[in-house]
Formats: sequence, C-alpha cells, structure tokens
Amino acid sequence: MSTPAKRRLMRDFKRMQQDAPSGVSASPLPDNVMSWNAVIIGPADTPFEDGTFRLILQFDEQYPNKPPTVKFISEMFHPNVYASGELCLDILQNRWSPTYDVSSILTSIQSLLNDPNILSPANVEAANLYKDHRSQYVKRVRETVENSWNEDDLDDDLDDDDIDED
Amino acid sequence: MKVEIVEWHAFSTWHWDIPGTGYEDELCGICRVSFDGTCPNCKYPGDGCPIVLGLGCSHNFHLHCIMKWLEQDTSKGLCPMCRQIFLFKEGTFGAEDGKKLQRLVDGHKATRERGPNESDQEFEAFDGQQVE
Ligand SMILES: [Zn+2]
Ligand SMILES: [Zn+2]
Ligand SMILES: [Zn+2]
Repeated sequence: MSTPAKRRLMRDFKRMQQDAPSGVSASPLPDNVMSWNAVIIGPADTPFEDGTFRLILQFDEQYPNKPPTVKFISEMFHPNVYASGELCLDILQNRWSPTYDVSSILTSIQSLLNDPNILSPANVEAANLYKDHRSQYVKRVRETVENSWNEDDLDDDLDDDDIDED
Repeated sequence: MKVEIVEWHAFSTWHWDIPGTGYEDELCGICRVSFDGTCPNCKYPGDGCPIVLGLGCSHNFHLHCIMKWLEQDTSKGLCPMCRQIFLFKEGTFGAEDGKKLQRLVDGHKATRERGPNESDQEFEAFDGQQVE
C-alpha cells in the first residue's frame, strides 16, 4: 500500500538515481522502501579517504516529519559515532527539518566525518585522540578504512556498477 | 493501421491563480511535489489541497504538508526551509483551515513564551561554538 511516507521515499530514490551527490549512494531494500542501505565514501584529503562506510537508514510513517534512524554498520572511529554505530548529529535529532531527504542526510554525515563536534562526544576516546594526539587518531581511523574494504561478506546490493577485472 | 481506443481519460490542466508569488515553478519543500499537484495525502489538486504562503519568509507549502509539520512539537513552529518562526498569509485557503493553522502557530508561540527548554539551549551551544 502506498502511504505519504512511501511516496516521498520514492521521490528521494528518484533524486538519488538522477542526481546523487558525489561519494554517497543509497537504495531501498527491494521489498521494503522504508529500509535503505547506503554507502558513504570517505572524502579525499581526510583520514577517512577511500573508506567505504556502510549505513542503514530506517524510516517510519512519520517521515519526513520525523527523521529516520541512521546507523553505521561499518566499524567507525569517530567522535560523534557510538560503538553501536548510531550517530550524534543535530540534524538527525532536534534540528531535523522535513526539507531534508536521503541525499542531504548522507551529505551531512559525509561532511561530519572530517568535521567532528568534540563538544558532545559519543566516543570519548576518539574525541580525546582527535584533540590531543592527532596522529594516533588518524592511525585508528585508517584502520577502520582498511577494514571497510574487507566487508565482502556483507551484501553487495549497492555495487551496481561491477568492474570487470581480467 | 487500426487504432482501437481501449480506455479514455478526461484530462485538463489548471494552475493556481495567485499573483506575484512565483510559486508555479516551485516544489513544496516538504513533499517535493509541484504546487500544481497534490500533497501526498490528497488525490485532487485545487481547492481541496491549497497552498500556504509564508508571511515572514517567502517559503510556500501545501497546507496539508505544513500542518503535519507544525503538529510536531519538534517543529517548534519554525519554517522547515529557513527556521524562522513560520507565519502565513491569509486568503489561499478556507476559514476553517485558517483557524486550524492559526491554532498550531499560536500553540508554538505559547510554548516559546514559557521560556526555552534546556535541550534547546544545549543544542544552540552545540551549534554556536567553534572547535579549534
Ligand atoms: Zn507538499
Ligand atoms: Zn493535500
Ligand atoms: Zn522560510
């Protein structure tokens, strides 16, 4: 059955297909438009460079009047990401606006990667290393980047442009 | 070639006639459908699914879309586009709808006048401070 939330999500999907921001991709599960898989590529010239970080977005019928639940399923080392993968990001909490869509949510998370807010840390260790021992911080982040490349056991639904290697 | 008409749908186009708003090319920021189409809750465009024009800002929405947003406490009565307090122009919808919308706007005003709650302040600080 089509509901306002589902119709809006189909528009979000169309926008992602037609004009996806660089370094992010997302699509709903084939049998459930309320659950999305997404990938954010770590931005160039940051410790997160080339990481392929996977997330799930879970919407409910209140969308877009309520934000989705967003969670990293890739291991992250970031001051604003909890061990559970959940994020501390103002636009996903009390600065949410119904004008945001999947594309703008993912772009915001992408820019959060290299612009952490250490005043409200979700991962205190990451926040402290970021502040006082930057090189150790970078090292820990690079580890998660490398691990993100080894997540082949997860589903490959999002890699729709397969590269043929001879 | 023989053409057989299997099914036939009556079709007509129409536009809102509100001078000087430039709304025609605009999409509703909430549902992302044009104002000549309906919000996701309605089947028929036109009087049944009117537009609301922002007064303090120039942001416009389907009546049903902005109502759903303003019904949320978390909206704090703010325009979803620019986060100014949302106020609206009269005259693009019926009196009943106007009353409902006004009640929502007034509700948020009353909440604001009771004073800022703590979580808001926390988040203002969160936004305002610079990280060195
Ligand atoms: Zn709308
Ligand atoms: Zn409507
Ligand atoms: Zn506005």
